[in-house]
Amino acid sequence: MKKKLSEMNYEEEGRVGSIEQDLKNKVAGMGIRVGKNLKMVTKHPLKGPIVVEVDGAHTSLALGMADKITMEVKE
Amino acid sequence: MKKILLMGNPNVGKSVFFNRLTGANVIESNYPGTTVDYTKGYMKGDSEDFEIIDVPGTFSLEPKDKAEEVAVKMLEKEKGNLVICVIDASKVERGLYLALEIIERGYPVVLALNMWDVAGDKNMQIDIGKLKNILNIPVIPTIAISGKGFKEVMLSIKKAASVEVKEIVEKVGEIK
Repeated sequence: MKKKLSEMNYEEEGRVGSIEQDLKNKVAGMGIRVGKNLKMVTKHPLKGPIVVEVDGAHTSLALGMADKITMEVKE
Repeated sequence: MKKILLMGNPNVGKSVFFNRLTGANVIESNYPGTTVDYTKGYMKGDSEDFEIIDVPGTFSLEPKDKAEEVAVKMLEKEKGNLVICVIDASKVERGLYLALEIIERGYPVVLALNMWDVAGDKNMQIDIGKLKNILNIPVIPTIAISGKGFKEVMLSIKKAASVEVKEIVEKVGEIK
């Protein structure tokens, strides 16, 4: 199932399906690229940032950035 | 005096590295973003002295915030000087991304795989020989808080030379 990274729930895992072009280089430096497995760790309230796990490391992203990343989530 | 820049992702131990190389005492803490501006220090080598510059952590060379802007400007200002790229051995991929960007801009790079003990604790195995072979630059496992690997870093400073990214890409292609 496809959904935005920003719509994922706590502890949910998925594979990065696509990233909007203008964001690609920005997140590549944080180890996020198409095909990577991510796990949602924290979602801060009031449209705050999210924290995801990539390769065993935690990385935070603005919610607006997470909106531009499409994930493939296992049912 | 030759200059050496310490670059790497945020929170990989660049400042601990800096303190160890120079004997200085800059603030180090376990947060990303501890170093917002740069710090300079001096190191005595066996034949010559070096000026060491502790650069704020950055994920890439396309700055997203003030600290990263400082980092990129520093690098551009010190064109041609040696860069010690400090990366977190337990987060190799994002570290290598930055290292490659620096190599691509033509700087001679020494790669320090810091927090080697942390990677070991996480059961990660990194093939140093293979990395060296692909990148064609000195790759040294280090533990900045204990001092492991620093002798090798000092020795490899002389050996570092700039590498063409094209050659690296070709070598990666061979492996596949």
